Amino acid sequence: MNAAGSLLTAHDLRKTYGSTPALDGAEFSVHAGEVVAVMGPSGSGKSTLLHCLAGIVTPDSGTITYAGRELSAMSDTERSALRRSDFGFVFQFGQLVPELTCAENVALPLRLNGTKRADAERAALSWMERLEVADLGNKRPGEVSGGQGQRVAVARSLVTRPKVLFADEPTGALDSFNGERVMQLLTDAARSTGAAVVLVTHEARVAAYSDREIVVRDGKSQDMERAA
Amino acid sequence: MSSRLTHPDTDLATAATEPDPGPTAKGTTWFQDLLMGAKYAVTGGKEGWIRTVLTAVGVGLGVALLLFTTGLPGALDARDQRGRDRMIAETAERKGPDTLLTREENTLFRDHSISGTVLRPEGPDAPLPPGVARFPGPGEMLVSPALAALLDSPDGKELLVPRIPYKRVGTISDAGLIGPVDLVFYAGSDDIEGFAEVRVTAFGDKSPAAPWDPILLLLITVIFVVLLTPVAVFIATAVRFGGERRDRRLAALRLVGADAGTTRRIAAGEAAAGALFGVFVGLAFFLGVRQLVDDVDLGIPTRFFPSDFAVNPALALLVVLAVPAAAIVVTLLAMRGVVVEPLGVVRTAKAAKRRLWWRLILPLAGLAMLYPMIGQGSDRGEFSEWMVTAGVLLLLVGVTALLPWLVEMVVRRLHGGPVAWQLAVRRLQMSSGAATRPVNGIAVAVAGAIALQTLFTGVQDDFTKDTGKDTSRAQLAALIPQHIDNARLPEITKTISEAKGVKKVTTLGSVEAAPADDPQEGYISLTVGDCAALAWVAKLDKCSDGDLFLLPPDNADDTSGSEVKAGQEVLITPTGNESDEPVKPVRWTVPADTKTVAARLDPNGQLLTGIVATPGALRNIETGSLNYHAYITLDLKVPDVQEHARNAIFKADPSLYAMRIMDISTNDRFAAVARGLVAGSAAVMILIGISLLVSQLEQLRERKKLLAALVAFGTRRRTLGLSVLWQTAIPIALGITLATATGLALGTVLLKMVKEPVRFDWAAIGVMAGVGTGVVVLVTALSMPPLWRMMRPEGLRTE
Repeated sequence: MNAAGSLLTAHDLRKTYGSTPALDGAEFSVHAGEVVAVMGPSGSGKSTLLHCLAGIVTPDSGTITYAGRELSAMSDTERSALRRSDFGFVFQFGQLVPELTCAENVALPLRLNGTKRADAERAALSWMERLEVADLGNKRPGEVSGGQGQRVAVARSLVTRPKVLFADEPTGALDSFNGERVMQLLTDAARSTGAAVVLVTHEARVAAYSDREIVVRDGKSQDMERAA
Repeated sequence: MSSRLTHPDTDLATAATEPDPGPTAKGTTWFQDLLMGAKYAVTGGKEGWIRTVLTAVGVGLGVALLLFTTGLPGALDARDQRGRDRMIAETAERKGPDTLLTREENTLFRDHSISGTVLRPEGPDAPLPPGVARFPGPGEMLVSPALAALLDSPDGKELLVPRIPYKRVGTISDAGLIGPVDLVFYAGSDDIEGFAEVRVTAFGDKSPAAPWDPILLLLITVIFVVLLTPVAVFIATAVRFGGERRDRRLAALRLVGADAGTTRRIAAGEAAAGALFGVFVGLAFFLGVRQLVDDVDLGIPTRFFPSDFAVNPALALLVVLAVPAAAIVVTLLAMRGVVVEPLGVVRTAKAAKRRLWWRLILPLAGLAMLYPMIGQGSDRGEFSEWMVTAGVLLLLVGVTALLPWLVEMVVRRLHGGPVAWQLAVRRLQMSSGAATRPVNGIAVAVAGAIALQTLFTGVQDDFTKDTGKDTSRAQLAALIPQHIDNARLPEITKTISEAKGVKKVTTLGSVEAAPADDPQEGYISLTVGDCAALAWVAKLDKCSDGDLFLLPPDNADDTSGSEVKAGQEVLITPTGNESDEPVKPVRWTVPADTKTVAARLDPNGQLLTGIVATPGALRNIETGSLNYHAYITLDLKVPDVQEHARNAIFKADPSLYAMRIMDISTNDRFAAVARGLVAGSAAVMILIGISLLVSQLEQLRERKKLLAALVAFGTRRRTLGLSVLWQTAIPIALGITLATATGLALGTVLLKMVKEPVRFDWAAIGVMAGVGTGVVVLVTALSMPPLWRMMRPEGLRTE
């Protein structure tokens, strides 16, 4: 793993939940525009690594550097601001706000950043179009299928044009057809904006969309270089 | 969850595949489904238990309050009976073997009345007062436990023992007390005769109890409805605690073959079991708290013996049957809008638009039932309690029916705004029911409280009187009876004056006289005091010892006495008319040069008439012993100044009678009802607040993962906190508005029923609405720490 010039790097991360170690000296790096898959069995520490990298969880020890800034030196408010401006997220079950329409869900990160409602929803519709869900704008998440909902979630994650997109099992709740389509759209959209993607998955066919794989096992990471 | 699915497999599969059973079999299936749900309430692992406990505690609190409020009339009756049991029933003129000589020695300690009686049995068959096992000897006394505790307290020792100096030799049992905090003593004495003694031959008032004023009855009826309706709303909310999690479990049951009807009945059975547990929890609460009602000081002087709070067996049976039945009905109704699908997905069916027409029928029907009662409260008329109860109930239940429609109608029109507002409004637009349900209870409580407050404001003048007494000049008066030699007056005045905090003692004596030409019919008041004292009752330009003045008759008061003129001959009755001995009146002519001056209200608010004279003016006239009033001016800044003065009065002479001069008097029953309303409203508000908090936390817990996800992409905590606040504030604002309108309408109708002019105490109404709002703000504040916790990233973890 070459950390030089990386957008986001982690070194010797350790994190324990109770008496269970989740990360035990994990290393990580991702360059701008790169798609990195984090693989490993259930309970290996993949999601914890993602949460630490995104500044959601604070590691017990180790360093995480994003664009030259040390995450652990930031306050919770600063990390929240960073997540709003520079990071995007896709979760396994979308985690769309059920009472907002799909368009409002996609516009939400922009609105949290202070963008005016009309501008935010215009940008949202544009992203929804790219992800082929423009016709769902006025529907609520409960009224759309799982695959459609996940594409709305991807649109939401990209609407702020993040520098890093964190995707935690983004196709875990989808059938293979929808999973493939979501991954295609996600990686294409991310690459078109130059966003780095940290993709947590345990599926090889999903990992196949990445440029590089990191395997996490028992809290330790191992870089698996992939031929282009 | 797995344990749930393994047990019912066979039953459910059978239920799902069997052909349509006949009516009896249908009933059996129904019963089996309910029973299965009941079983899950206790065998459903941690989640099931939490839900059952929540429901049971919620229902239990409601049931306990229900039992307390319905037990209150019985407790009041028992208390009334206890009071009547110790009243004097029969008296005798002369000493006999069955006579007991008594004299009241009542006093006040701060605001608490102390009932004291000195007594001496005059024969072997003298009646014992209730609760008294044997007569105390001279100088001894029996005390109630509460008075014993008060006398033993540091304040009691310093401020009360000096005027109750008897040796304690025993305790009065519960039979002689009206409540556990009753302050009573019976003291033995050899020195009773001569002033205000009563010769008793029997205790226990046998006459029928005084009927309650119809307005008070109306107040009590309305209070009951007003307090119990929110409790019913609360119970309906409590049986739905944990509903969303239960729905997820039901989805799993669908997967193994249960049909929609079966899942609904299983849910109803689960709720019924929780409610039944709640009934028993409520009974336990009731019995437990009942034991504490004599120990816990709620700031209410009216407390009861636990045994007086009896549960009506018929009511208890009704509660045991009706509450679980209501739980079944509420759950089946609630489940109508929920589609539980086999794939573990619970989708709320697109809710039908709420209709207004049938919701309006309830309050209109309520008003229609109250309309015939208008005007029935005047002239001690009678209300139909059933009509009033039903009318008020329908009006209040109408609030619970109208509020969901109102919230839905308003939130449908709300758009735009910041993210927090948008999140809240959209949530309410999608499902306002969950947010509105707990608010219903608050709205009903506030509507009822405002109606009652309006009624109280309207009728309080009938029960609270301005006594006309002037508390700026004197705050305490001591009656110095005629049997006390007037020569002791300076010594008595000096003793009282020396008490801590006493600024001045003003004494006015009086003796009766009559016109010499009409001694049988006429009456002239002769008041004696120094110039300073006379200036309290007459407007004097100048005065010196030896002067006397005439006061004009009070034409407004027929009993004020005859007009007296200068030069008129009068007969003075030296020892007054209390003596049984024939007295020889003293003939005296009012000096011809006596001036007439204007009278002035005395501290008791009375306008004196007749003759006012300085002692020098009557120096050579045999007036006998005068009946004196000592008016005592106190320094109210001195703590417990009234107690110091009372002790000094007792020290001056035990037969002196101290009276507090108060400018306002309140009907005791009215005051008790008003206090009951405050206590009851507080209990209901707390109860509703608890249900609001539980519902709030439950909703937040359901959204734990979503909240964590929102935080993950940078949502500020403040935004989420505000969205929770808006989500509660919008329904509560609408609820309080509707409640205020309903409360004012109901209050107006109630006032018209008692033919009182309609006026509103806006400050009090503001307080009621403010308290309701405050409960919501408090609940929101209390839900913030759990909200922060739920927003932690741990919420995103799945392993």
